Amino acid sequence: VHDLCRQAIEVALDAGASYADARAIVRQSQLVMTKNGEVETVSDTETAGIGVRVLVGGAWGFACDRRLEDAGANDAARRAAAFARAAPGSHTRELAPLEPQRGSYRTEFERDPIEVPLADKIALCLRADEALAHDDVKVRIASVRALREEKVFLSSEGSVVEQLLVDCGGGIDAIALGDGLHQMRSYPSAHTGSSAQAGWEYVERLALEREAPRVAEEAAALLRADECPSGRTTVVIDSEQTALQVHESVGHPTELDRVYGTEASYAGTSFLSPGDLGSLRYGSPHMNITADATTPGGMGTFGYDDEGVPAARVPVVEEGVLRGFLTSRETAARIGSGAGGSMRADGWNRMPLVRMTNLHLEPGEGTLEDLLADVDDGIYLATNKSWSIDDKRLNFQFGTQVAWEIKKGKLGRLLRDATYTGITPEFWGSLDAAAGPDTWTLYGLTNCGKGQPGQIAAVSHGAPAARFRNVQVGVRA
Amino acid sequence: VSVTATRALDLAGEVLEACRGEDAQVVVHRERSGLARFAGSEVHQPTLIENTVVQLRVARDGRVGGASTNRVSKDAFEALARRATDAADSSPADPHFQGFAPPAAVPEVDGYDGRTAELAAEEQAAHAAAAIEATGSFDAYGFFTSGLTELAVASTTGQAAEQSMTDVVAVVLAAGDDASGWAEQTAWAVGDVDTATVAREAAEKAAATHGAVELEPAAYPAVLEPYAFAELLGSFGSRAFGGLGLLEGSSYFCDRLGERVFDPKVSIVDDSLVPRGLPKAFDFEGVPKQRVQLVEEGVARGVVWDRRTAARAGVGTASTGHGLPSEFARFGPMPLAPFVAPGDADSVDELAERIGDGIYVTRLHYLNTVNPREGIVTGMTRDGTFRIRGGKRAEPLVNLRFTVSVPEFLADVPGLTTERKLVNLTAFYGDRYVFGAVVPAVASARFNVTGIGSRPGL
Repeated sequence: VHDLCRQAIEVALDAGASYADARAIVRQSQLVMTKNGEVETVSDTETAGIGVRVLVGGAWGFACDRRLEDAGANDAARRAAAFARAAPGSHTRELAPLEPQRGSYRTEFERDPIEVPLADKIALCLRADEALAHDDVKVRIASVRALREEKVFLSSEGSVVEQLLVDCGGGIDAIALGDGLHQMRSYPSAHTGSSAQAGWEYVERLALEREAPRVAEEAAALLRADECPSGRTTVVIDSEQTALQVHESVGHPTELDRVYGTEASYAGTSFLSPGDLGSLRYGSPHMNITADATTPGGMGTFGYDDEGVPAARVPVVEEGVLRGFLTSRETAARIGSGAGGSMRADGWNRMPLVRMTNLHLEPGEGTLEDLLADVDDGIYLATNKSWSIDDKRLNFQFGTQVAWEIKKGKLGRLLRDATYTGITPEFWGSLDAAAGPDTWTLYGLTNCGKGQPGQIAAVSHGAPAARFRNVQVGVRA
Repeated sequence: VSVTATRALDLAGEVLEACRGEDAQVVVHRERSGLARFAGSEVHQPTLIENTVVQLRVARDGRVGGASTNRVSKDAFEALARRATDAADSSPADPHFQGFAPPAAVPEVDGYDGRTAELAAEEQAAHAAAAIEATGSFDAYGFFTSGLTELAVASTTGQAAEQSMTDVVAVVLAAGDDASGWAEQTAWAVGDVDTATVAREAAEKAAATHGAVELEPAAYPAVLEPYAFAELLGSFGSRAFGGLGLLEGSSYFCDRLGERVFDPKVSIVDDSLVPRGLPKAFDFEGVPKQRVQLVEEGVARGVVWDRRTAARAGVGTASTGHGLPSEFARFGPMPLAPFVAPGDADSVDELAERIGDGIYVTRLHYLNTVNPREGIVTGMTRDGTFRIRGGKRAEPLVNLRFTVSVPEFLADVPGLTTERKLVNLTAFYGDRYVFGAVVPAVASARFNVTGIGSRPGL
């Protein structure tokens, strides 16, 4: 495969490229899902191919081919160069300098999740499914997933990088129906659970079967809960929803390609500008955000990104002030800072884009109880249900699966259909406490969309529970 | 023109042979496409894709398992058969599996254009250049893409179906610092898409958005262009119009079939067979596509089904040919070709006259379902939001957060346009399978604005 990549680069250079890189990938993934005691999905997918990216006259070109053989590599290289040469516009691209990288990286794991028999995966899901049983729960879902990706990257600058990335995850959902209501509770997080770069031991530690009865009870209880009231109030948000808040309102707007407008036609741009670096007040002094491609277990963890840039941990927001962007070599050169390190592609047949690695809200102090104790009247919000944010990442609206009122520092009534909305810097400015490390939890998402053609990325976010003052809750249709 | 010399259906036959007599169904899904994505008036992410994906499902005594590969060889197919068989052996019997689809004639449909299939990368780039050129004083953001997709489904029951489909989508966002406008054309023949016209429409819209002002959140009458209406309908319909939503209580149509749910002016049919859309002859289970009346003069009439949800629904329900690829089948059958009946308004201007005072929406952004059972959706307006005053489009507005009950939005419809537009609903994730909605512009008496967001532009 190294030779194939090297050959593709040579063909690209012969075709006029000033820079070329090639990624050869073999990926296997599995998904098992059960529903109401029946197997809904058992899939075992493999995909392999080579993607070649070139710069010709300052213009990018990218082409790919599923054939991991001479013909596929050569064709992809020639087509990428031809597409770049045909690209309209005036192109003046520079890449941030990068010393040739030579190395390898491998996810640390105890048990390869792909090697766990499908029958064991199905059995685990069926046990969790059964444990969700409850009279009011009409739809019970359990799922596990696993992925193994072998990736080789070579560039015309001399980088040669080999990586083996392994991840897996799982989750359960209970959907209760009654009196025209549709209420869901999930564990360990919404949207098919949580994943980590780890071995099967991660899925076992989730203990889906053990948590299932509580999840089912809470879903059923929501049928009898009052609707979340409307108004401005103090909210305490659990670590899972806080993690998604970080993703949508900090992660995406700090992607420097969005800042420069290259996602304008689809995902959108950003309210930030390059000149905001070091001066923009993003939030309160309690807000510390770190991008960390080295987080153990993170879904955005790697040894090298898809430009061969070594993984790093960098501050994005420090004490509420913007300190960093997520960059590629191209965007890092434009801003004159850093060497990139956030470029990832969704497999061999997509071009790398600036993507979040693992983006964390750093913990503060104290416990969840400490956060609640300083709330006379408010709402505790937990587990994402819906999410939407505008093209510049300013106006957001989230819904959570569950909420509880907070009265005089204690949790009170269960509430359903909770939503909250705000404007990003105002909202983060209202952060008046982040709980300590005990509430800090790492969640792995597998559904972050961006790019045209569309690409899905997996990212992780660690976050503590956090408290925000004067937030609008209870948006009504 | 074929992605490779071997026909997709022949390839499917080779896979079935590798299954050595097992009950099996194979889907061969091939793509050759180019997408010239541009931003700041230059192509910056050009992507050429060639791929062949083979999905195999094997059934053994009611136990069903699936596997897929993009390796194309005898050895690869034999390995695929072993993996699918292992998946089946690992599973308990599926009480709702009624065998793979039996042989059935598939309808003849349009949807293939030889010129589009042969479009080279240089021509795709030239179309992008034409869009950039015609955007004028604004910078151009968007893409031009064309592709050939070949789909074949074959099974040991004797079903064998094959279709070649072409598609073309041109999208232009014309934008400056404080202005932006959007336009799109989608077709299955490149001759039906004029990228310069798309760019001019976007630029004209952008020019009208300078100096956008804020709006007090409240419920307003509204006119939605086809882009916005298609997105709203697509978001609502993915739950409401599918059989799974009906079975699992997440569809607005639960307990409402046969009842009036929308204004009588609203009729919606899912129809993949007509050339006006992006025609499809059969689904990913090999079942011939059927025309399904979803809403008739405001009355909920039906939903779409695949084989498994139809079996769960019981006697009297059969697949309507709306099965998804096996990797997405868990989301249930989807209406991928919704057509909304036209109204009697000659133009969007006439719709604005009918509502008198309200807002005008070009397109939507980042929709998400807040409450599936009630059909409540939230999102933002974008790239061309205006006030309507005195029946005329008036000052531009900042992007608006809306949270609407789609049934309430469609409960009182002052009108729809006679002209309809095919709007692409594909974001080109995964394997290429382009679909869209054919909709008119619509006027509604109630569009609930719940907040304000960013200004138009970059």
